[in-house]
Amino acid sequence: MSNTFARPGWMPTTRRLKQAAVTVFVSVMVLAWTLPYVHLLFTSLKPPADAIGIPPTFIPNTFTLENYRRILDEPGMGRSFMNSAIVATGSTLLTLALAVPAAYGVTFYKFRLGRVFLVFALITRMVPSVSIAVPMFSMMRDLDLLDTRLGLVLAHTTVSLPLAVWLMAAFFEPVPPALEEAARIDGCSRFGALRRVIVPVVSGGIAVTAIFSFLASWNEFLFALMLTSVDAKTVPLAISGFNGQYGLEWGAMTALATMFSMPVVLLTLVLQKRIIAGLTFGAVKG
Amino acid sequence: MKNKTFATLMMTPAALFLGALVAYPVVLLVYNGFYDVELLAQSERVFVGFDNFVDALKSDRIRGATSRTARYTIFALVFEFMFGFMAALGFHAMGKRSAWARTVFSFPLMIAPIVAGLLWKFLLASNFGIVNHVLADIGILDSPDSVAWLSDADIVLYSVTFPDIWLTTSFVALIVFAGLQNIPQDLIEAARIDGANARQIFRRITLPLLRPVIAVVLIIRGVDAAKTFDLIWIQTEGGPRSQSEVLSLTIQRRMIRFGDLGEASAIATLFLIVMAILAIVAYMTVWRPADE
Repeated sequence: MSNTFARPGWMPTTRRLKQAAVTVFVSVMVLAWTLPYVHLLFTSLKPPADAIGIPPTFIPNTFTLENYRRILDEPGMGRSFMNSAIVATGSTLLTLALAVPAAYGVTFYKFRLGRVFLVFALITRMVPSVSIAVPMFSMMRDLDLLDTRLGLVLAHTTVSLPLAVWLMAAFFEPVPPALEEAARIDGCSRFGALRRVIVPVVSGGIAVTAIFSFLASWNEFLFALMLTSVDAKTVPLAISGFNGQYGLEWGAMTALATMFSMPVVLLTLVLQKRIIAGLTFGAVKG
Repeated sequence: MKNKTFATLMMTPAALFLGALVAYPVVLLVYNGFYDVELLAQSERVFVGFDNFVDALKSDRIRGATSRTARYTIFALVFEFMFGFMAALGFHAMGKRSAWARTVFSFPLMIAPIVAGLLWKFLLASNFGIVNHVLADIGILDSPDSVAWLSDADIVLYSVTFPDIWLTTSFVALIVFAGLQNIPQDLIEAARIDGANARQIFRRITLPLLRPVIAVVLIIRGVDAAKTFDLIWIQTEGGPRSQSEVLSLTIQRRMIRFGDLGEASAIATLFLIVMAILAIVAYMTVWRPADE
């Protein structure tokens, strides 16, 4: 400690001051980062005219739910939410079904092809979505998958699969091979061993991967824009549609944005430990 | 069944999927770039060799878009890293007590870019946007109408980065924080005992040990920033006067608005090649050396 020769009475105070300063600093940053979203929330609860009132207020003068009612009355909105949910669930399941065995194969049986596969998966992440969307549009048209939920599920899985493989590989890595051997000795087939013994061990990792995949699909916009229009329209697309059509309906738009993001925000707060673990695990280990 | 066979079998579904839905489209993309072909009449195509590619490289609009993409990426990266590091250091200094702060700070990660773009479009609006009013009240701006964030062609490219920075600072902060936590405390203690001050410790010990983490974040975020579409689209659709049009928007516009599949494919192919080269260069220079 640097102040060994300072008067004993002062030392704890300097440290406490520093701690206080840090806490204030962090609090300010956290506040700054949450204020925009709180403003979104509050605006959605203002009467539509107040939402674009000049000068703008932060806390609403009157609280009202009419923006939410407006959104819920909007034709097609319920379907958009359904589509988002179905596509997100579908692509998450597909991603897991593909990524878990692949990552297992790569980590448990270390060999060159495995590493090539990992690098290949990483490279696919570099491809700009718009570069893929262009040919994918043609492909889906030929397969009659345009404006379908299945088409979007496939497109979204291409987005989440590379990261999912890398995440699961990181989670499989610390599992001791002895576990699988023990299961095999007990009479399990290789795949049975994976299913009954290994998967429960990495279930935390699977949860994290599932969350990220779900999020990636729920929030996705570009593929939804280019590959769907009416039937399979997802909420992000509905939001952007509002933007053009109804130019100044900010009250309604903020309500929709809140309805769309709230489930996810709440999910984060509930599952935050898992999410942060997954993030840092993937990045720090990889 | 041999081990290797089993492992290969496990990898095959994923490999096939990526092959069919990523590799094949990329091949198709490159292929289409060599043709003059319309999006909605793809059977009538004329082979034009490298014409589309040459046109793209000579086009002022493409060059402009490339320059804008680069400027957008660099600007966003600088501020994400700056704020992210500041937050991470703050969390690290607070230690375990920072758990609540980290939780709250991580929520922007869950917000869809489209929502973030919409939100900031609202915040930065000239007349009813709260940012300008607050800045004017504090005295930084003369009046709420002084700055037109999203309609001033000179600054719009930088204004549209705000939601991006807002969203990804959290990502950078959490990853760097994890990296900081991983640094063995005895190293820091030993240095302190040897008389090093905080700045020296940071420069000689902390930063070098953080290098792999910084490298990963830089590459991931750099690629993502260059690929940005949603945010910019919802805020300005590339305007005003195309001054916020980055490459991803240019490509989308070419394909959807003008239906020019051939040209859009050529531009997209070039974009892909450049991204791949940059990613490899970044990997070689920033990540690899960190392993030593």
